Amino acid sequence: MILGDLLGVHVYDDGGTRLGRVADARFVVDGPPRQLLADARLLGLVVSPHSASSFLGYERTGLDQPWPLPRMLRWRHRGSFLVLWEDIAMIGTKSVRLRAGFTAYSPALDGAGQE
Amino acid sequence: MKTDRPLAPVPPTAGRTLDAQLHLMDRQVLDHDGVPVTTVDDLELNGPELDTNIPPGAPAPVLTALLTGPVLGTRIFGGRPPSTRLIRIPWEDVADVGIVIRLGVSGENLDAGWVERWIRDKIIARIPGGRHDPR
Amino acid sequence: MKRLLGVALGVLTAIGGFVDIGDLVTNAVVGSRFGMSLVWVVVVGVVGICLFANMSGRVAAASGRATFEVIRERLGPRAGLANLSASFLINLMTVTAEIGGVALALQLASSVHYLLWIPVAALAVWLVIWRVKFSIMENVTGLLGLTLIVFAVALFLLKPDWGSLAGQALAPAVPAEETAPTYWYYAIALFGAAMTPYEVFFFSSGAVEEGWKVKDLVQSRINVLVGFPLGGLLSVAIAGCAAVVLLPAGIAVTSLSQVILPVAEGAGKLGLAFVLVGVMAATFGAALETTLSSGYTLAQFFGWSWGKFRSPAQAARFHLAMIICLLVGLAVLATGVDPVLVTEYSVVFSAIALPLTYLPILIVANDPQYMGEHVNGRPVNVMAMIYLVIILVASLAAIPLMIVTGAGS
Repeated sequence: MILGDLLGVHVYDDGGTRLGRVADARFVVDGPPRQLLADARLLGLVVSPHSASSFLGYERTGLDQPWPLPRMLRWRHRGSFLVLWEDIAMIGTKSVRLRAGFTAYSPALDGAGQE
Repeated sequence: MKTDRPLAPVPPTAGRTLDAQLHLMDRQVLDHDGVPVTTVDDLELNGPELDTNIPPGAPAPVLTALLTGPVLGTRIFGGRPPSTRLIRIPWEDVADVGIVIRLGVSGENLDAGWVERWIRDKIIARIPGGRHDPR
Repeated sequence: MKRLLGVALGVLTAIGGFVDIGDLVTNAVVGSRFGMSLVWVVVVGVVGICLFANMSGRVAAASGRATFEVIRERLGPRAGLANLSASFLINLMTVTAEIGGVALALQLASSVHYLLWIPVAALAVWLVIWRVKFSIMENVTGLLGLTLIVFAVALFLLKPDWGSLAGQALAPAVPAEETAPTYWYYAIALFGAAMTPYEVFFFSSGAVEEGWKVKDLVQSRINVLVGFPLGGLLSVAIAGCAAVVLLPAGIAVTSLSQVILPVAEGAGKLGLAFVLVGVMAATFGAALETTLSSGYTLAQFFGWSWGKFRSPAQAARFHLAMIICLLVGLAVLATGVDPVLVTEYSVVFSAIALPLTYLPILIVANDPQYMGEHVNGRPVNVMAMIYLVIILVASLAAIPLMIVTGAGS
């Protein structure tokens, strides 16, 4: 699968209610070690209810400069959440369906947003 | 979904977290000598199968390759190049992800460098002074 | 002395922005029609370019990333491509105009028709890009371009009524014989010239070419604070000369020879010799700056290997792209189009390129991943946001004003 195909796809819960769109995919570098880096496994998807894509990612970082840009973009991406791979029931070309009783986690990244 | 209470933080993981859009896509790729190879135009995963139910407990897909080449055009204008026309830099070759992505191999042998090599060998190196080191 | 020569990058960058062939003529047109009443725009433009060029230099020194890499990384491929197309067209038009400008200057010096000089000029530009070390290139063209200071000297020798010039500059008003839309059209043209995006592409890439690191941040700031005000000063001096000599005589500037007329009047034959060298160096420098910028923007968007610190074979696509640009420029000039007019419509593309260039610089200059402790201070951010609003307003107003005024005629 190509990641670009997944971004912007609509996300539904198991009852068919639209929750938003796939804004980003989060990976964790903790797979079986290779010669250089370990495998990067899909941890989950960032879902944004109000926008087609994430722009600049301020909803996931603690940056607040240059004011007022982060504030404006954070508002645009309000309600964004992260859903783990375990809670995804189906990934399709037009839609992503979540499992019943999925957990919406905070999309925040720690620290400066890199790790 | 309407929540006013703050969402729970993601359960801790052992490895480093990378968000595709924020940390991988459109970043410059350098080879092990620091020579630019390409930018990350897209990413390839080893799953899941599209439009089929994912059985509970299925292992998470992993990143198999950084993609470049015609996939940039289709990412901008839509559509999808045939899988055979994707130019891949395997994830095994990636040594470090920072504000640039560093490979642990030389760019000289990568598929991603063929246009550069072709233009070098057929055109630029044939013009007098083309191999002159300016330093 | 090293510090002094170390400002060549800033000087050359500013020359390409403020006194390239299109701006030489625009400045003289402005002086001959509006006197000093648009000087405030140059001041606003100088402050703006200092602000953002310093940021782009700081990003390059702190992270090793040049401006267009940052644009692609932050804006993504779509907006990045929109900016690339607009910026590249501006570069291409300016390259074309500058080659014509060098040829026009050579015509003034030699009385050989400029069309014959065009291939010579283009070949010379290519040879410098192909072969000459970056530091030698910037030192020679920067230093020779400084001879344009003769415009300021000539202004003094013309013994103008300083009180009235200062009055026009400090209490700007639209002259009676001009309309408000024309006045604002030229205001935006001057502002756009001061902040033209290839300046930051060239400056940040030049910083990478010279291998600036965090310890060179002071050097970067000196470059910015010497180069761009100097560019602004030259721009004002040219307008001043035109305001003193051409405005009272009712001469409408349409060609390069009219631009340098006041210098001949004020500073005589020696002044004329200086100004010819200066115009040649400035247009040649601007040709180098914009040709290299075309290569830099393309290479950085697509992630190709680039830089004059590599041999051409190690940056093959970068060098091929610049060769193609020069050939396209030659082909356009061969049609006999007036080089001075070629840059006139670049203001349209600036409207797209300016906001999409300066926004990502500002965002990355605030990102500790890139900058570590060298992120923007709060006052810089406040100023930058104010400038982004000005840029946006100017961008939105540029095209309607251009249509209404018939490009200022």
